[in-house]
Amino acid sequence: MGTILTTKSLSKQYGKREVIKHLNLSVPEGSVYGFLGPNGAGKSTTMKLLLGLVKPSFGTIRIMGKEFSSSTRLDILRNTGSLIEAPSYYGHLSGRENLQIVCRLKGVEESAIDQALEVVRMTGQQDKKAKHYSLGMKQRLGLAAALLGNPKLLLLDEPTNGLDPAGIQEMRELICSLPKRFGITILVSSHLLGEIDQMATHVGIIQQGELIFQSSLADLHAHSRGRMRLVTTNNPQAYALLRKAGMEVSLEDGGSLLLCSTEDARVLRCGRLLFENQIGLLRLEEQQLSLEDIFLKLTGKQVSL
Amino acid sequence: MLYRCIQCENQKLRHSVIWSACILIPVIPAIMGTFNYLQNLELLKDGWYSLWTQLSLFYASIFYAPLIALYASYLWRLEHLNHNWNQIMTAPVPVPDLFWGKLTVIFQVTFLTQIWLGLLFFLCGKLSGLPGFPPAEILLWLARGTLAAAAVGALQLFLSMVIRSFAVPIGIALCGSLLGFAFTAKGLGMYWPYSLMTLGMNSNRSEDLLSSTLAPFLLTLALFFLLFAGAGILYLKKADIQTR
Repeated sequence: MGTILTTKSLSKQYGKREVIKHLNLSVPEGSVYGFLGPNGAGKSTTMKLLLGLVKPSFGTIRIMGKEFSSSTRLDILRNTGSLIEAPSYYGHLSGRENLQIVCRLKGVEESAIDQALEVVRMTGQQDKKAKHYSLGMKQRLGLAAALLGNPKLLLLDEPTNGLDPAGIQEMRELICSLPKRFGITILVSSHLLGEIDQMATHVGIIQQGELIFQSSLADLHAHSRGRMRLVTTNNPQAYALLRKAGMEVSLEDGGSLLLCSTEDARVLRCGRLLFENQIGLLRLEEQQLSLEDIFLKLTGKQVSL
Repeated sequence: MLYRCIQCENQKLRHSVIWSACILIPVIPAIMGTFNYLQNLELLKDGWYSLWTQLSLFYASIFYAPLIALYASYLWRLEHLNHNWNQIMTAPVPVPDLFWGKLTVIFQVTFLTQIWLGLLFFLCGKLSGLPGFPPAEILLWLARGTLAAAAVGALQLFLSMVIRSFAVPIGIALCGSLLGFAFTAKGLGMYWPYSLMTLGMNSNRSEDLLSSTLAPFLLTLALFFLLFAGAGILYLKKADIQTR
C-alpha cells in the first residue's frame, strides 16, 4: 500500500510561536487516517496547511505524488475534498444551489449532485435554504460538497463536532463506508479517542504541534495489551532473573516490575522462577491499558476524551 | 475558469439583498438633486443639463462610491460568513480568477445601477416638466462614470476582502467621497480614486469637464485599477486564510 500524502518537517510559525513542529505525516492510500489530538494541538492548522489555506513556514507536502506548490495546487485540489473547521455554505441559497456553486468551481457536471445528496441522505431537504438546516444537515451538506468530483483524498476536520448522538453515529458510518464504496482515502481529525478507534485504520497523534505517535490502529492497540504488575522482596534481582530467562519485563520507578504478558504459562513460569530463587512475591496484579491510558502515556497529560 | 467563477458569483446574488440596494439607493440622490434643481430654477436655466448637474453632483460625489462599497462588502460578506473562505480557496480555480470573478460581478451590478440612474434622471426630468429628451451627451457621461468605477470597485473589493466588517469599508468609501470634494476643488481630483467618478460624470458644469484631459483621466484610472486589483490578488495569494 503506497502513501497518498506525506509531509516532511512541515512547520508553521506565527511570529515566534511555533504551532506546528516538524510534522512528518504519512497517510497510506485507502486508509482512514485518524488524526487525533486535544483541542488546540494544531489539527486544524495542519489540515489547512495540507490544503494550502495556510502557508508553511518550512517543510514540504506531497499529495498524490506531487509536491504542493503554486504550480501543482490546482491538480491536487481537483482530487481533494475537504471539510475544514465547520461546513461552508451560503445561507440564502438552497442546499442544491450551494452544491451547484461547488460543481461550477470544481468543473464537475451538475448530475453529480444527486449522487452526492443520496450518499449523505439529503435528497429530501435539498430545496430548503441552507440557513434553515440543522448543524447536522449543514455538516452533511459540507460532506456532499466535499464528495463532488470524486476526490481521491478527503480531509475532514472534526466532522462530528456539535452533532447529536444520532448524527455522530450516522456521520461515522458514512465516513467508514466511503473508502470501500469509492476508494477514497480519508484523513479525519478528532479530539475523541473513542471516535478514532471506531473509524480509523491508522492513527497519528498530535500534541502541541508535534506528532507523538503514528502507526496503524492495530499497533496502537498492541500498546494496550494487558500486563502483569509484580512487587517482590527484591525487585532488581527479580528483574535480572526474569530478563535472563528471556521474559519481556521492565523495572518501573514505583518499585514494581511489569511483565508484558498475561499468558497463564508465562505467569506460572515467572512465579516458579521467583520461588526457586527465593524471591518473595508480594503483589501480583493484572493491568489492562485502555486506549485512554496509552493516550495519556503518550501525551503525558489528561485530555478531554 | 474565470467564466465559471463569474457564474458562481452571479448565482450567489440570487435572492440576495444587493438588488434592493441597487434599486433604492440611487433614488435618494435623484430626489435630492431634483429638489435642489426645482428650488433654484432662477439660477439653473439649462434645462436637462442643469438637472443633470444637480442629480449627478449628489450621486457621484456622495452615493456612488459607498454604493459600490456596499456591493463589494456584500460579495465578501458571503465568504466571511460560514467559513466560505475555506471553500473558495480550496476550489480548483486559479486564485486571481476568484478576484476577477467578483470584480466582474461588481461591474455588472454597477452597470445596471448606472442604467437605472439614467432612467431615474429621465423620470425626474419629465416630472419636473422638462421638454423632450435629455441630450445624448449624458449617455456618454454615464458611461464614463461607469468606467470610473473601475478604480473604486477594485479598491473596495480589496478593502472588503481584508476588513471583515461590512460597514467599515462603506464608511471608508463615504469618507473618501467627502474628501473627494476637497481634491476636486483643488484640481487634484485626478489623483484621488474617489474623485474620478465625479470627474467622469461631469457633475457640476454643463460644459465637458474632461474634454481636454480625457487621456490622463483614463491613464490614472488604469493605474489605480491595476494597483488595487494587483494588491487584492497578491493578498489572496499570499495571506493565510483565517476564518475567525
